[in-house]
Amino acid sequence: MNIKTLNLFLLSFLFLLIISCDSKKSVSENRIVIGIAADVQSFNSLFAFSYEESAIAEILFPGLSDFKWNEDRGELDAYPMIAKSWQWSDDSSSIKFYLRDDVYWSDGQQLTASDVVFSYDVFSDPEVQSRLFGMFNYLFTDTAGQTDIEKTFNVISPYEFEFHFPENSVPDLVKIVIPIIPEHIFSNLSGDQLASHKSNFNPVSSGAFKFKKWDKNQTIILEADSNSFLFTSEQAAELVFKVVPDYTSRILQLKRGDIDLVELVKVEDMGELKAEGNLTLVTLTGREYDYIGWSNFDSNNPSKPHKLFGSSNVRKALTMAINRKEILDEYLSGQGELAASSVSTIFKSAFNDEVKPYEYNPDEAKRLLALEGWKDENKNGILEKGKTEFKFTMYYPVGNPLREYAAVVIKNNLKAVGIEVTMEKMEMGTFFNNLYERKFDSWIAGFGVPIPLELKPYWYSDPGVGFLNFSSFRNDEADKILDQLETKISKERKNKLIKKFQEIIHLDEPVTFLYWTPNVVAYNNRIKNLNITPYGVLVHCREWKIE
Amino acid sequence: MKSETGKTLIIRFLSSLLTLFLLVSFLFVLIRLSPGNPTDKYISAKLGSELSEKIAEKFSLNQPVAEQYFAFLSNVFQGDMGVSYNYRLPVFEVIWEYFSFTLVFVAISFILQISISILLALWVIKKQKRWLENFFASSSLMVYSIPAFVLGVALIYIFSVSLNLFPISGLKSLDYDNLSFFSKFFDKLHHLVLPLITLTAAGVAMFYRYIKESMDDVLNQTFIVNLKASGVSDKTILKKHVIPNAIRPLISVAGVELGILLGGTLITEVIFSLPGMGRLTIDSILSRDYPLVIGCVFTAGTVMILANFFADIVKLKIDKRLVKGILN
Repeated sequence: MNIKTLNLFLLSFLFLLIISCDSKKSVSENRIVIGIAADVQSFNSLFAFSYEESAIAEILFPGLSDFKWNEDRGELDAYPMIAKSWQWSDDSSSIKFYLRDDVYWSDGQQLTASDVVFSYDVFSDPEVQSRLFGMFNYLFTDTAGQTDIEKTFNVISPYEFEFHFPENSVPDLVKIVIPIIPEHIFSNLSGDQLASHKSNFNPVSSGAFKFKKWDKNQTIILEADSNSFLFTSEQAAELVFKVVPDYTSRILQLKRGDIDLVELVKVEDMGELKAEGNLTLVTLTGREYDYIGWSNFDSNNPSKPHKLFGSSNVRKALTMAINRKEILDEYLSGQGELAASSVSTIFKSAFNDEVKPYEYNPDEAKRLLALEGWKDENKNGILEKGKTEFKFTMYYPVGNPLREYAAVVIKNNLKAVGIEVTMEKMEMGTFFNNLYERKFDSWIAGFGVPIPLELKPYWYSDPGVGFLNFSSFRNDEADKILDQLETKISKERKNKLIKKFQEIIHLDEPVTFLYWTPNVVAYNNRIKNLNITPYGVLVHCREWKIE
Repeated sequence: MKSETGKTLIIRFLSSLLTLFLLVSFLFVLIRLSPGNPTDKYISAKLGSELSEKIAEKFSLNQPVAEQYFAFLSNVFQGDMGVSYNYRLPVFEVIWEYFSFTLVFVAISFILQISISILLALWVIKKQKRWLENFFASSSLMVYSIPAFVLGVALIYIFSVSLNLFPISGLKSLDYDNLSFFSKFFDKLHHLVLPLITLTAAGVAMFYRYIKESMDDVLNQTFIVNLKASGVSDKTILKKHVIPNAIRPLISVAGVELGILLGGTLITEVIFSLPGMGRLTIDSILSRDYPLVIGCVFTAGTVMILANFFADIVKLKIDKRLVKGILN
């Protein structure tokens, strides 16, 4: 074959290739394609650790009830799911559930109270190491943390059972409801067998969608399950999770119509996406905030306040010296909100609107620092107190452009009041490992806020309980409130205590609260009936309709 | 001569095994001494730290590194690389699913690199046009200098976004299962055109320069001039004398390039969302999935050593005088 013939052959092949694959949109009429950044590793709800895994697990395995976000109160409202109704005892020591009798697993077996009891047993089994392990302390458990089935459950019939709670337990429906998994699939398996069982990759489910196909690192296809009690003829025929790790590629496919929905859109892309005309953008804030952590106490001598950040006046001064609004306006184009504490405005009933973020005020910052003895006596541009200069290193993880931008602003702002900061980027895993080991004096990080609101792990003084209290914040009154929040009190009292807690945090300023970062969701206008709330984006995708 | 070749190959094989053992051991120690903890991700406000502690206990992460290393070695000698922390499956079971794609992808790209560069070099030599030689010399340098992520994104913008000729990402269409056998083949090929160009371009440019220079060297040898003077046709000279002589040094480079290619697929896999081992390796490193990291490196290292080993065998087949050189 000479070169001319070869060229001709290659050209014809390329031509054939292009015409054989037409460029029509790959998203069919009745299919919703969601772009995700990472693939799942299992479909078993027991091991759904990542965001993507838990989103899919929630679709496949409904619980006894489901929840809707109540915008007015900033709380979750429960509504029936596998249980058609429930009834609390007068003293809240037990709850009786009445199950639907038309709930079937995708393999045709009926879902009964036995599946429910089995789910609590397996999820709390220390051998299984499920994603909910350690979260069943509101039930009767053994020393290893496994649910005591005999004491906890009273199965009256296949569709009727009772939960019994220990005396000091403060259960609520949000805590109680977990995904229900099929007993007949997993009942005879050990912990290790459960983790690698074939059903984890081809699950038997009970939700409105069932598993259809998984091409690893490519696509996950769920199809409507017409036998499910949740099935409606209006729901999409297929739900496709398309794995596209590259952000730019996800956005291009969203614009081209290959993908219908993308989360975590960058603020700088919002204008371009809006201009497309066929996309809707929703900005969610109030679930994640960035902060600057200050070690309140000396890590070598936990009873001694930190030599730089030990005083609340100094920490307040540091907050006032940083122009957080500038970061918000410049980098986030005004999306997001300034933060004053770890309670966001979405929790309307518990949010204290009298607690306002500290204003940017370098003069007041200097005054407060001087009050604490930090003065530039030797006129070298850096404050000192005795022989100690106000110099430190601030660490932050790589891979977050907002934090990288903020680091530059923070460094310059603090320099302006006489504080010298060395900014150091660190690989994500190493950064968090050091953070857990309390190795930093100062750092930039973020926290996700769980729903319902949890405060104790972040702020309790005992590091065993407050394992996320990296700045070692200590306040007796705050501890008292956090303890009280775990007792049987009314909702009104609870909200009042949370408001008081915000005041304490604001006065002490253990960390510098920066801002609530936005999650921008973009979706194709052909999808209707989306209810995107702080509770989640994909949680009710069975209700989505296609125009 | 035969026994000397056999001895050389056996020694070469044993030294390859030793290299692999040292590589895996070094990596084992390095990764465990590096900061970061695979169980940190199990700590959260809702979960507490109990699960993290349980998982550390299950995977023996609380034991001293030396103890972990000896346990690891004893497992390796039994053919067991351990269980992936993330996937909770045997390491090789996880790797195989991703490696099979990477192997095919790299093999196609490698064949394309070699064949296109040889054909291009031959064509340029045959044309004997100075401007053509200069054009390909400078453009090959340019193509070689373009990073894969720039080329990949540029190709997507031109051919997928602007011209709408090729898909942006993925290995197959969502309706792949409903296609006929013929359409399935073209569907996959359609998805692989841009990734293959991205992965192959730099290799073609490098091999082209290498082959062209080798061929020029051979063409300037006295024996070629003698052959021409004897009336042997240009075609025969090229086929029987120039190509075999020029291709020999290429074999050693090709062995190394195959290994580099295997590690270099990562960027292409990420840009085009392909299900390969490059992505798996990076994900396992970032999540500190130690057994999987070691498994991935072991697999890549084995392929690289095997590629070089086979390159040596081919070289020996061509020229027996190379026995000592290979051993060195």
